Amino acid sequence: MEGTADAVTELPRLLPPRDGKQGDGKPDRPSDGGRSHDFRSHALRYGMLTYRDRPGDLIGEAEAAGLTGRGGAAFPVHRKLRAVLDAAGKRRRTPVVIANGAESEPASDKDATLLWLSPHLVLDGLQLAAEAVGADTAILYVHANRAHDVGGRLIEAIAQRQAARVDRVPVQLATAPARFLSGQETALLNHLSGGPVTPTFTPPRITERGLNNAPTLVQNVETLAHLALIARKGPRWFRSVGTAEEPGSMLATIRRTDGQPRISEVPLGIPLKDLTGDLRQDGAVLIGGYHGTWITGAQALELTLDNDSLARAEARVGAGIVIVLPADRCGVVETARAVRYLALESAGQCGPCLNGLPRIAAALAEIAGGRARPQAVGDVERWAGLVSGRGACHHPDGTVRFVRSALRTFATEVDWHKRGRCSAANTRPFLPVPQDTARSENDWI
Amino acid sequence: MLINVSGINSHTVLWYASRATGVVSLLLLTAVMLLGLLVTRQGRLPGLPRFAVTGLHRNLSLLSVAFVAVHVVSAVADGYVKIPLTAAVIPLASSYERLWLGLGAVSLDLMLAAAVTSLLRRHLSRRVWRAVHLTAYLSWPVAWVHSVFAGSDLRHGPLFLLAIACAVVVLGATAWRVVAASGDVPRAERVGLLMTAVHARDKSRNRERTLAK
Repeated sequence: MEGTADAVTELPRLLPPRDGKQGDGKPDRPSDGGRSHDFRSHALRYGMLTYRDRPGDLIGEAEAAGLTGRGGAAFPVHRKLRAVLDAAGKRRRTPVVIANGAESEPASDKDATLLWLSPHLVLDGLQLAAEAVGADTAILYVHANRAHDVGGRLIEAIAQRQAARVDRVPVQLATAPARFLSGQETALLNHLSGGPVTPTFTPPRITERGLNNAPTLVQNVETLAHLALIARKGPRWFRSVGTAEEPGSMLATIRRTDGQPRISEVPLGIPLKDLTGDLRQDGAVLIGGYHGTWITGAQALELTLDNDSLARAEARVGAGIVIVLPADRCGVVETARAVRYLALESAGQCGPCLNGLPRIAAALAEIAGGRARPQAVGDVERWAGLVSGRGACHHPDGTVRFVRSALRTFATEVDWHKRGRCSAANTRPFLPVPQDTARSENDWI
Repeated sequence: MLINVSGINSHTVLWYASRATGVVSLLLLTAVMLLGLLVTRQGRLPGLPRFAVTGLHRNLSLLSVAFVAVHVVSAVADGYVKIPLTAAVIPLASSYERLWLGLGAVSLDLMLAAAVTSLLRRHLSRRVWRAVHLTAYLSWPVAWVHSVFAGSDLRHGPLFLLAIACAVVVLGATAWRVVAASGDVPRAERVGLLMTAVHARDKSRNRERTLAK
């Protein structure tokens, strides 16, 4: 097993290696992946799952590795694990563990790719997390209708594990509605409890009272896959890539000017210019998706993919989305389209979000269409200040961050639009924006 | 009643106290009911911020619990008619006015449940709290029937009009609440409708601007 183990110290760690193309900094795009969900080939590549046989043991290793959540918030994994374990002890309730694969960000495809290519790493991590907090219920929560039939493959993978008797905690598969908020923790729990996938106010924190009031651990699927490897190879191995503050690697969804998504496993701290390909100073790059931040090409040429560096451009790594805006597209028009989608994906519960986002979206559409009222930009800025920090979830905050960064990065373009002009030579939509918005309560269940 | 003739003295003070606090309790509970209905619609009172309406609802309900407590204790302590203490919470436990006092006990039990679950709201799920709180719609009418039929005070003169007025405003407010709720846009459709409205408004405004030019 040692020999095969060494082979995975290089990137990619999580995805099956592509024919000799790693290490050259080129993001690779996994195609169908053949039968990479086969449990035997998984066991051959990574070795068998090593249980710790004591709840809590893995938490120290996660802390030493410095693993943070890969769903976007980058919250330290060991703190969440500890919180659930402590709550379970204090309240004498057996916890629940949920692997969150509801990748709702339309521009991201890394979780679906991971589940398609390496489902067993995720399922290994789920078992280990369940053991670490002493859970007796494990749920794998994924999107139902992506391009590939991920669900069918996961059912096969879970069945193979049952046959091999590796799982100590039975895994249930749950499907997420195709809503932007599907992956939000409290919304996810609301949905798993039989309700609409709408967020609720915290506290109580779900680590204290989550599904059926039990302490609940929700971790992104990629985070669990990293955890499965840390358990096998140790924290030092994990830290062998990445930066000292933000160790390890992450899956990134990269869209260059051709618009095709490439899923690539990259070390944290990698220069953005290694991911974006050719980049002009006056170009623009979207970091972190539709709750993320537009930065200028000049900024992208200097920054690296870690929160420490990106903070200088008021950006965050998020779920590792890097999108290069082609020179012939207009950033204002693209942002307006994405914000319209975000506004329509509001759960419609909190006043600031329900009333604010449609108005912001409409004003942006006005600006994008040219001949906007003179006060339109001022309106957007004012409303942005009014909605942020006032929702049950961070949907308004993320949307506002995105909008503000667009006004900042595309300031020149906004001025053009004020004079009824637009720099776009190509009007075909570039950013992926789903067209099917929710029409009734059924679309939320 | 004989007692009415003799006026307030050391023998009758408890009896009068019980009757008076009973009437005040009915008024307070009516106010609590109306404020509760207002709170469910996120309504406002003139000059009060929204949270103050909720605060008023809570504080008045605690005050009415205090008045009901005095009402019950004084009725039990008074020796003119024998009412066992158990009759305050157990329906039909009193031989005096068995049915009407029984209704009072039912109403008190429901009221206490609503008060206790509200005080413990932090520790309960919203669903449980709400289920218990909804029994107010049962508790208030039962309290009203108890008020009118357990004694004769509310069946004559100005107090009779007061009892009728209480019933009318609570019925009216409940009807208003039901009608208002039926006009609500379902949560899932709110955003889409608002979005369409905002876009339509902007389009018409743009058209006006173009025409003005």
